[in-house]
This record gives sequence, C-alpha cells and structure tokens, in this order.
Amino acid sequence: MTAAGVVTLLPFIALTLSAVVVMLAGTFHTSHRLTVGLTLGGLAWTLAMLPVTAARGGRQVTELLLLDDYTLFFIGLLVLTTAGVVLLSYGYLERRESHPHDYYTLLLLATLGGATLVASTHFASFFLGLEVLSVSLYTLIAYPRLHADFIEAGVKYLVLAAATAAFLLFGMALVYAELGTMSLNGFALLHVTGGGAADTSLLVGGFVLIIVGIGFKLGVVPFHMWTPDIYQGAPAPVTAFVATVSKGAMVALLLRYFRGVSLNPHDTVWIVFAAIAAASMIAGNLLALLQSNVKRLLAYSSIAHLGYILVAFLAVGRTAAVAVGFYLVAYFVTTLGAFGVVAELSGAERDADRIDDYRGLAARRPLLAATFALVLFSLAGIPLTVGFLGKFYVVNAGARSQLWWLLIVLVATSTIGLYYYTRIVVAMYVEQPQALPSAPRPARLGAIAGSRASDAVLIVVAGLVLFLGIYPAPLIRLLEHVVAGLP
Amino acid sequence: MHTMIVLIPLLPLAGFVVTLLLGKRVLSARPEVVSLAAVTASWVLSMIVVAHVFGAHDKAIDFNLFTWVSAGSFHVQWGYLVDSLAAVMLIVVSTIGMLVHYYSIGYMRSDGGYYRFFAYLNLFMFAMFTLILANNYLLVFLGWEGVGLCSYLLISFWFHKKSASQAGKKAFLVNRIGDWGFTLGLFLIFTTFGSLQFGQVFAKVSLVSPGLVTWISLLLFVGAVGKSAQFPLHVWLPDAMEGPTPVSALIHAATMVNAGVYMIARSYPLVSHSHTAMLVVMIVGTFTAIYAACIALTQNDIKKVIAYSTISSLGFMFMALGAGAWVAAIFYLFAHGFFKGLLFLGSGSVIHSMSGEQDMRRMGGLRKKLPLTFWTMLIGALANVGMFPFAGFWAKDEILGGDFSAHYYIVWAVGIVTAFVTALFMFRLMFLTFWGENRASAEVQRHIHESPRVMTVPLVILAIPAAVLGLVVGLPPDGGWLHTFLQPVFFNVEKEHFAWAGTGGGLMALSLVVVALGISTAYVAYLRRPGLPARAAARVPWAYEASYHKFYMDEFYNAAVIRPVMGFAMWLWAFVDVRVIDGAVNGLAWLWGAFGRVLRPLQTGRAQSYAFGVFAGLFVLIILIRYFWGA
Repeated sequence: MTAAGVVTLLPFIALTLSAVVVMLAGTFHTSHRLTVGLTLGGLAWTLAMLPVTAARGGRQVTELLLLDDYTLFFIGLLVLTTAGVVLLSYGYLERRESHPHDYYTLLLLATLGGATLVASTHFASFFLGLEVLSVSLYTLIAYPRLHADFIEAGVKYLVLAAATAAFLLFGMALVYAELGTMSLNGFALLHVTGGGAADTSLLVGGFVLIIVGIGFKLGVVPFHMWTPDIYQGAPAPVTAFVATVSKGAMVALLLRYFRGVSLNPHDTVWIVFAAIAAASMIAGNLLALLQSNVKRLLAYSSIAHLGYILVAFLAVGRTAAVAVGFYLVAYFVTTLGAFGVVAELSGAERDADRIDDYRGLAARRPLLAATFALVLFSLAGIPLTVGFLGKFYVVNAGARSQLWWLLIVLVATSTIGLYYYTRIVVAMYVEQPQALPSAPRPARLGAIAGSRASDAVLIVVAGLVLFLGIYPAPLIRLLEHVVAGLP
Repeated sequence: MHTMIVLIPLLPLAGFVVTLLLGKRVLSARPEVVSLAAVTASWVLSMIVVAHVFGAHDKAIDFNLFTWVSAGSFHVQWGYLVDSLAAVMLIVVSTIGMLVHYYSIGYMRSDGGYYRFFAYLNLFMFAMFTLILANNYLLVFLGWEGVGLCSYLLISFWFHKKSASQAGKKAFLVNRIGDWGFTLGLFLIFTTFGSLQFGQVFAKVSLVSPGLVTWISLLLFVGAVGKSAQFPLHVWLPDAMEGPTPVSALIHAATMVNAGVYMIARSYPLVSHSHTAMLVVMIVGTFTAIYAACIALTQNDIKKVIAYSTISSLGFMFMALGAGAWVAAIFYLFAHGFFKGLLFLGSGSVIHSMSGEQDMRRMGGLRKKLPLTFWTMLIGALANVGMFPFAGFWAKDEILGGDFSAHYYIVWAVGIVTAFVTALFMFRLMFLTFWGENRASAEVQRHIHESPRVMTVPLVILAIPAAVLGLVVGLPPDGGWLHTFLQPVFFNVEKEHFAWAGTGGGLMALSLVVVALGISTAYVAYLRRPGLPARAAARVPWAYEASYHKFYMDEFYNAAVIRPVMGFAMWLWAFVDVRVIDGAVNGLAWLWGAFGRVLRPLQTGRAQSYAFGVFAGLFVLIILIRYFWGA
C-alpha cells in the first residue's frame, strides 16, 4: 500500500484509533462523561477526515476497499447516526451502569465494521466488515448484563448471525468456484450482462445463499424472525443502532453491487428480490398491527420499511438510486428519533416499551410527545415530513419502471401502517395515563442524567424531519452526485 | 432590495414562532410585543419596496431564492415577484395588517389566549405576504392554503363556543371545494405549459388552444369563488363572523377574501384570453353583488350586515374583472380594503362598548356616546355606498362606467340597483346603531363608553384613505395615478374612452342620485316612520322571509348535500363498516390468529426455531428459483 493509500484510508484510521483511545482511557477509570466526549471527538475526527479523502478523488485501496464519494457519503451517514446513538446512550447508561466504557469502544468498532462494509469491493472485506459489525453487536446487545433479557437477546443474535454468516460464506465459496474471482465487481458484471453462459445452478445457488446472509442483516421476510426479539430485548439505543447503521451499511452495499439486478427484470434473482420486497411489506405491516409492544411494533415496521426500500432498489435509473438513498436517510432520521424517545423514557428497571407507558404522555411531557408524534407521522408518510417525500420518491421511481404490482402492495400496506402508528399518537394525546405503579417515574429519572444529550438528538431529528420534508432539494442534489457512478 | 422583499414575509413568520413558543411563559407580561415589532417592521419594509417599485417605473422585480421542489422534470422555485399589482396589494395588506395588530391589543386584552391570537395573526401575515409576493402558482397556493388555515384557526379562536368551532369547520370545508378547483387548475397549467412560473406561463398563452385556456381560467375561478366567497360558495363568510372582530376586519374584509380577486387579476394574461371565462366571472360576480346586498337588507346582526356587504363588494370586483375593467377592480379592492376594514373595526368598537351585543335592534343613539367611532364609521359607510367624494365613489363609478362602455347594459343596471340597495342597508345599519333612542337594557347602557385610544387611533387612520383615496389616486376617472401605475401589469386592456363630460358625467350623476335615494329611503324607513319596514315586510312576506333566511342557501345545502352525505355515511357505517369491514377485519384477525397458532412453535423466542425459519426461507427461495428457472 502506498502513502497515498494511507491518506485515503484516513477515515478508517481515525475510527480505529478512536476505538483504541476510548478503550485505553477506560483503564484509567475515567468518568462516563469523558468517555462520551472522547467517543464523540473520535467520530468528529472521522467526519473531518471525509473531505480530506474526498478531495483526493475516488480511490481504490488495495483490492479490498474503494473510497469514492458514494462510500464517503454513507460513511458520513453512519458516523453521524452513531454520534446520535452515543448521545442517546449517555443518559440511558447513566441510569444503569457504573463503568460503561467498553460500550463506546464496541460502538466505534461496530461503526468501523459498517464503514468497511460500505467500502468493500471484495468478498474478503465484505465478510470482514460484516463480522466486525456483528461481533460488536453481540456484546452491545447484551451489555447491560444485569438483566436476563439483554443477555438472552445477545445470545440469540449471536447464534442466528453466526448461522447466516455461514450461509453467506458458503455462497461466496460457490460463486468463487464458478467465477474464479472474489471481486464484487465481477459479481456485479454478471447481472449487467444478464448471466449468459455463467448462469449455472452452482452460481445461482451461491447467489441465493449470499442473499440469505444479506437478507438476515436487513431483516427482510423470510429472514426477519429475529428482529422483533432483538429489537425488544436489546437496550433502546443499541436497537436504534441495529435498525439504522447495521441495516443501512448493507443497503449501501446492496445498492452498489446488486443494482444490476434491476436492469434485468426477467432475471430469476430479480424475482427473488421482488418476492422478498412484497412479503416484507405485507408481513411487516400486518404483524405490526397486532403489537402492543412499541419496540416490537417498530421492529415489524422496520421490516416493512426495508421492503419499501427494496421497491426503489428494483426500479431502473438514477432516480431510483436517489430514491433508495433518500429513503434510507429518512428512515435513519426517523428511526433514531423513535428509539430516542423510547430511550429517554426508559427507566432503570425496564425499557418503556409498552403502549401503556405512552398513555397521556402529551400531558406529562408535551415536547417529547410532539416529537414522537412527528416521527411516527413521518414513518407513516404524512406530508410535510421527510417520510412522505421518501415514499414519494420511491413511488415515483417505481412508477417510472412500471412496477405496478409492487406499488399496489406498497400503497395498500402503507395504509395499514397509518393505523398502528396513529394508535401510539392516540395513546399519547387522547387516552388518560394509567395509575402509575409506586415505582419512581422513569421520566423523572431521565430528567436528572443525560437527558440534555438525548434532547439535543431529538431536537435535531425533529428539525431534520421537517426541514427535509419541506425542502429536500439540497439532499437530492447531494445524492444525485453521489450515485452518479452507479450503473 | 431582494433582502427586504424576502424579509417582509419572513419577519412575521419568525414572530409567529417566537410568540407561539415563548408567548405563554417568557413573554407573559407583554406577549404581543414580538408580533407587533414583526408586522411594524414588515410595514416599513413594504413601504420602502413600494416606493422603489413606484420609482423604477414598469420594471418588475422578479427573482428566485432557491429550488423548492424538484422531482424529475417538475421544478418549482421559491421566488418573489414585485410589480405594481403586488405593490398595491402590499400597501393594503401591510397597512391594515399592522393597524389590526394594534387594535387587537385593546380588543383582545382580557382574553385568555391573548398570545395565541397574536401568534396566529403573525402566521396569517406570513401566508398573505407569501401569496401576494409569489412568482409562481405553487407558492401562491402555499400562501393560499396558509391563509385558509389561519382563517380556520382564527374563526374558531373561541373554540369552546360550539357555533365558533362549527363556523371554522364550515369555512374550511367550503373552501376545500374551491381549492379542489384551484388545484386542478394548477395541474392543468403544469401539463399545458410545463411550468408554474408566472412569466413562463404567460409568455406561452397564445400558443395554447383557447379551449384549454378557458378550462384553466374557469378552474382558477372556482378557487377564487371559494376564497372570495362568491355565490354559491359564499355561505362560509357570514358564519365566519363568529371569530373575533379584528379577524373579521383583517381576514374576512380587507385581505384574505381579496385573494381570489388578486389571483384572477394576476392571471390576467391567461383569463383575458378566454371570452367565456370572462363572461362567467362577470355573471357570477354580478349575481353575487345583488344577491348578497338583498340579504344584508334584513339581517339584524351588525357584523352579518357588513359581512354580506363584503360579499356584495367582492361581487362588484369580479363584475369589473369580467367586464374587462381590470384597473377599476383593483382600484375598488384598494379602496374597499380600507373602508371595509374600517367598518369592521368600527363595529368591533361598538360591540366592545355594548358589552358584546351584536343585535342592532338593541342598539341606537350611540352617536353621542361614541363620537370617534361614529364619525369614522360614517366616513366608512359613505365610502362604501359610493358617495361623492369618498373613495368608494370613484372606484364604483369606474366599474359601472366600465360595464356601460363595454355594452353590458344589463350588468350596469344590476350594478345601479345594487348601489341603491347598498345605500339602503348601509344606512339602515347607521341609523339603527347611532341614531334614535338606545334600546339596550339599563345595565348595558350604564357601561357604554368610547373604546380606548389603541382602538380608536386605527379607526382614524383608516378613515383617511377611506375618505380621500379616490381623490388622490383615482383622478381623473379612468386615467388617474393608479392607472398609470398598473399599466405594465394590465398592458393590453382595450379601453373605450367616452367623454366624462358627456355620458360619463351623466352616469355619475345618476348613480349619485340613486345613492341619495337609498340613503333617504333608509332615513324615512328607520328614523322618521319606524313602523314602515314591518308593514312593508307584511305586504310581501315571501320576499322578506327569503331575504331574512338568506334565500335558504344553508337549508338548500343541508338538504342537497349534507343530508345525503350523512345518509350515505350512516349507510357506510351501518352496513359497509359494521358488516363488511368489521367482518373482514375480524376475519383477518381470526386468520392471523390461526396463522399465529400454526406458527406458534416458531414464535417461542427460541433461537433454534428462528434458525429453522431461515432454513425454511432459503427453501422457499430455492423453490421460487426452480419455478422461474429460465423464465
């Protein structure tokens, strides 16, 4: 690797060094506040390195990583989201852990894994990134180890992620055996040329196995079954991380290398993706309908949202790629907001995940309730929010490619979504709070430690939901530039 | 200059946000200061901009700030256009807006939602400024919907009163019908011209088939009918009087209801291309003018009378637009804003002093006790009926002259009759309120007092343009300052000059005679021989009843629209919802329950079963691929 390559890798180096610094600082029994400060500093440093790399132009570093504007945009998105998660975690952990230093090390490493995933051009870096991300997540989910729920969720995630990683690895092996290359570019080329002579059963089999690995990470039907349990079992900020960074990194990879699929709607793989998208939209929305647990409800809704993203992914053209990017940003912002509210309301005993916890919230915490309502409306796709425009761009892209059946499913299932999102809003604004148990009010505790930090996140989220919902043009322009290199 | 124009709507928006967020706690002592500062600053800026436009003759300022919406080939800019038409609107909106803000300090002080009121007023100013300064139809639409929203919020400001919240809803719903037309018009404009920017649309009008232009104009006019309360969508405006009186003055007399007139005038290059559309505009306006005037004759609520008079005046403006007297219409709008705002604020002062009484049958003799209110309202009334030399006279006579010279003699005749009825009901209002004996209870009489300075000063200020505006901008008739000023906007109006010394002078004299006749009839009927109206009503009871019940329009809507819709809704509920939908939902719930029971072994939360699920999914995918193999 040349010196120029090192400079190009600066964002990765910054992220890695930050993780090391935070870990070392932990050995000196530094305060929680300082650890959070160091973590945020590391993330800011990483962010500051992005323009430095961008100024040097898109560059392939070894065979493994490509740092072009597309990669850098998504790394920036992941880093900013992680910063939001860090701020949410501060108050959340202050309430229940005495020395949560490793938590932040792991969060930084997980982000590094996500960034690697986005930048990877090779099966090896793809797999490495995925594993760095997953292994960090096992521990993060189980981190508040005094509660059995978290441990259970962590172990469950470990078993399932390891199993599906095996599928992925086996799929890669099959593809390599047939094509003789581990490069993702060769893989992408396959679709563009429509398969042709290479369209053998070994290759298709390898393909499907890789889709299992990707589908598990995205949490789409039929590989979705872990999501409700993990979402419910993990600490709220970690859930936010799983829902955003971990899924978003995979979407970015998918968009870059599987775009070829959309160019050929008669491809068998295209049909597989279409079936996954439709099934995710239907099952996600219908199952969310029956939930009375907010975290599980959001889990099912995220299944549906990934389905919407896949619709845009299957559409042809630049607008479709922009729609995927825009929807992803919208989904990041709103998901962070939703779990931010859950985290802020959660007490030391348990997370505030029952709908009953939200009854009459508007009277107790009007601004928090208003933010949650705004975020839920955005998830439901009500105009003037970013969620509406996200759906609009997705539908626009789908209509241009005449994916009528998928669009019918999208619109029909979105109306179901309207019901279960507004149910929470109704609980907050119309229903009376239940007689609270004698336990101290979680809201009270939150007000003491770290709620400033999560308030800041929620204010930014609310501002972005409205701003991007009214004036999306700058983001659209950026995305148009970013996806310019895609097929 | 651009910065100033941007700031004009932006300042009230900032005022709205600050007042809404901080009004209750931080600014609780003087919650109105921020919004007052915002509108005052906007007024100053508006005056500077107007002066600039006046100085830079016939050079419109048209600029884009940023791309607002961009989707595929659909691009809309956020941009402003200030030409002489926008400048005239700026004068009316900013001046009356500011005065109403000050007036509200006195009128609303004892009200619980004081800060909320000022916040909404500020939001309204933002929307109204956006509407008149926009350089494309979509931005106009944003302001259009914004003023509609504020109108709704302010009509039902006293939402605990059922009638107020009902009136708010009615205004909102009726306006939906107009907005539906407006929206369709926008779609049609975009598909026809590929743009929503005024300049780009108007440049291409002559390239488009006349039929399309007619459809676009008519759809836009549907929007105007809703917003400017023309027949048959006028029913919301009288009910809107449930809102606080400053709101009635600002929104429902001087500014928002003029938006329809403004929009049609703004679309001049489009509308003037379609003879059919012009004819429709004129007929609807003429009919509304006489129709609303007849209703005003028998109403007893002082605000309702002025409300119907507003509808009638707006009808006059559309009559002028349709007859091709474009400048006269804007002239009337200009003058009307001041004198009608004045009349509303004056009636508010009367109501304020009468402890909230609005029924004119329990007023009377207030001339002595409320001298300032009386004199200013008298000027307003004289301007409204079109008495020489007040503002209304010049504007109204240009309209009637326009009808006459365009050979619309029937329209002209209806206009003359309307002028008579207007004089009659306006002075019925004046005589019942300010002359004769006071008919209120002793308790109310004891509390009668002139309103505080903060309320009377705006009255005096408004009385000045109501009195002299016509002399300043309207002389000589059909060639005054306003005509020169607006020339660049209505660049192509064919004008038939007739000698004002001959025909014109005769027409003027005739309309003056008619007005004098109206006033003296009112004098005889309501002061000299008070029994006369009752006897007249007894002679033609059907006519009286019809007018008193507003020609049964509400009853008609109730029978023709609301009942059937309610019936349909009941049917939907009783049959479709309970049987079909609930059945389906319950069935679906049962289905999912059954599904759940089947899948329960997988849903225990055990990781093994989830791993099994992954296998099953893979299996399904492989089957899928085998099935489509080679497809």
